[in-house]
Amino acid sequence: MAELTVEVPGLALSNPLMLASGIQGGSAAALHRVAASRCGGLVSKSIGPEKREIYPGPVCVEAMDSVVLNAMGLPNPGVEAFTNMMRENEFSKPMLVSIFGPDAESFANIATQMEDAGATALELNLSCPHSKPGSRSLIVGQQPELIKEYVSAVKQAVNIPIYAKLTPNTAQIAIEAGAALEAGADGISMINTVSALEVDPYAGRPIIGNLLCGMSGPAIRPIAQRKLAEVALAMRRGEIPEAPILAMGGITTGLDVARFIMLGASAVQIGSALIYGDVATFGQIEKELGDFMDVSGYKDLESMRGIALDSMEGLN
Amino acid sequence: MSLPAAPQNRAEDFDLQALSDACSERLKSEFNQAGKIATPIPLPIVEVVEEAEGVATIWLQVPTELAAAYKPGQYFMCWNPYDNKGKMDNRNFNSEKPYSVGNIRIDSTGIDDKTAADVGQHGRTQIGFTIKNLGRQSGELTRMARGDWLAIRGPFGTTFPTPHSGSTLILVSGGIGSTPMHMAAKEARNKLGNRVQIHAIMGFRNAAESHYVELMEKLCDSLTITTDDGSLGIHGYPTAPLEALLQSVEPQQTTLLTCGPEPMMKPVLQMAVDSGMSCYAAMERYLPCSVAACGLCMVGDKLTCRDGPVMSGDWLLAQDDFGQNH
Repeated sequence: MAELTVEVPGLALSNPLMLASGIQGGSAAALHRVAASRCGGLVSKSIGPEKREIYPGPVCVEAMDSVVLNAMGLPNPGVEAFTNMMRENEFSKPMLVSIFGPDAESFANIATQMEDAGATALELNLSCPHSKPGSRSLIVGQQPELIKEYVSAVKQAVNIPIYAKLTPNTAQIAIEAGAALEAGADGISMINTVSALEVDPYAGRPIIGNLLCGMSGPAIRPIAQRKLAEVALAMRRGEIPEAPILAMGGITTGLDVARFIMLGASAVQIGSALIYGDVATFGQIEKELGDFMDVSGYKDLESMRGIALDSMEGLN
Repeated sequence: MSLPAAPQNRAEDFDLQALSDACSERLKSEFNQAGKIATPIPLPIVEVVEEAEGVATIWLQVPTELAAAYKPGQYFMCWNPYDNKGKMDNRNFNSEKPYSVGNIRIDSTGIDDKTAADVGQHGRTQIGFTIKNLGRQSGELTRMARGDWLAIRGPFGTTFPTPHSGSTLILVSGGIGSTPMHMAAKEARNKLGNRVQIHAIMGFRNAAESHYVELMEKLCDSLTITTDDGSLGIHGYPTAPLEALLQSVEPQQTTLLTCGPEPMMKPVLQMAVDSGMSCYAAMERYLPCSVAACGLCMVGDKLTCRDGPVMSGDWLLAQDDFGQNH
């Protein structure tokens, strides 16, 4: 049997399959429910300074085959309630705690409270594509200077590892990855949803309550793979600091996981697949990945990691 | 600015039936591809029937395949994409909410349906959502009119177990929990005819809110009405007549189904469990996404949207967060 365990800063994972942020993981009950599956690790919903309600629906729909559209609006219980919950609960899987805030100071404050409550690693949600136009959370992930400001603020506030979660909605994602890593991020999470919009021709209006939305699901997997390769290749060439990458975007099978590992990811996150198959999907993907590695002769994830980048090293 | 798609802006000679037919065809194509409607598809409302004070049924034309695939207990997400002034609704008005189907009118060429009185208008299949005005959003829905858009997607969720020949069904509803109980009774009667005994108890706050009584009378071997204020039927909660009903049936052959407020369902399920029969509840929780994404509809360690809404009574009674008003 292939060895599936993997260690990344702050997280010792029993397999590389993590829950992606924004799916289910906003309460103790929901996180326990996912932890009981065959996932290797959890990522919480993004937690902000205060409780936020979900946007008016439709908030998440399968708009067509392989396409999931959502605009949830970062619903979360707020940092105080979440840290209380963390103190009262022990989860059977390691948890990466995702956070967001209106400014760098808020990020740093929330990060400090999460560290005090026992978080072993943080994911900074710098890239919510469905926030209100003009809001800071829309633009942070698209502006390297702001990425640096936010990451530096959190890095100075806490000792636990931090992962910067990047938006794919920029011209050259290696620039944003470089900004995060130079400012002290210990790893990269990528990608957040692709900005999207869908109109119902009969109703003559967008089908998502928030109008604008983010796209996920298998249809964005090739986009995620391209962005991952750009960052991983920039690391190989020494253009940006090397760091582990938690990759995601449309993963639904064990073979998909292999694709991301071969493009340089250390572990992956899975979200939309739960809409199709719920938490049982983790067990299915784990088995498919193990079977594939066994039949192909990969003894562990490291022996597979980055091999698809070899052919692309000369690319600009 | 005038939005031609808004119902209020249509021309006077607009052919609503042609639009209904086109939208139903669209549903059929979606349904045949995916086995469900995965994305909100707007349908023009065919008819709105006032059932009682603040209770209305919204009828939509759907393909027969979709109506036939619906199983009692399941729900559709329903969404009014325009506000009541015909303006596009974004952020501040109507959200998408889960509703179980309350009634189906099937045309004579469609699936087997023995309740002849329910043959669909114009020979077309229709589903009805019966909605009670419980707040701003549901209130808005009860005030919708023929021609207004209602977008639906589904059906989602778990269903009641199918009753077998020779069995007895006890249906206990509180308020608008009447809708899945009616569909459960209708399906059991359609499938099994006289080979199933159906006993129903319907609880209402008062006579003015009572609805579905005639429909249930037609389907059930016995029907008992209770009202909180005594203005109709027995004065009290459904648990009062349930005691005697439970003693009159053979527990091994009986299944109890319930839908209503959790403080009503909890004692109802407890009584069923105590008397040794299997029992199920159709749960209603705040359920914003329906696709196991938001995680906000948890009961114990289950998601109402996917592991429910129909959940077993034994399991529910063991959950700390079951039994309060939500």
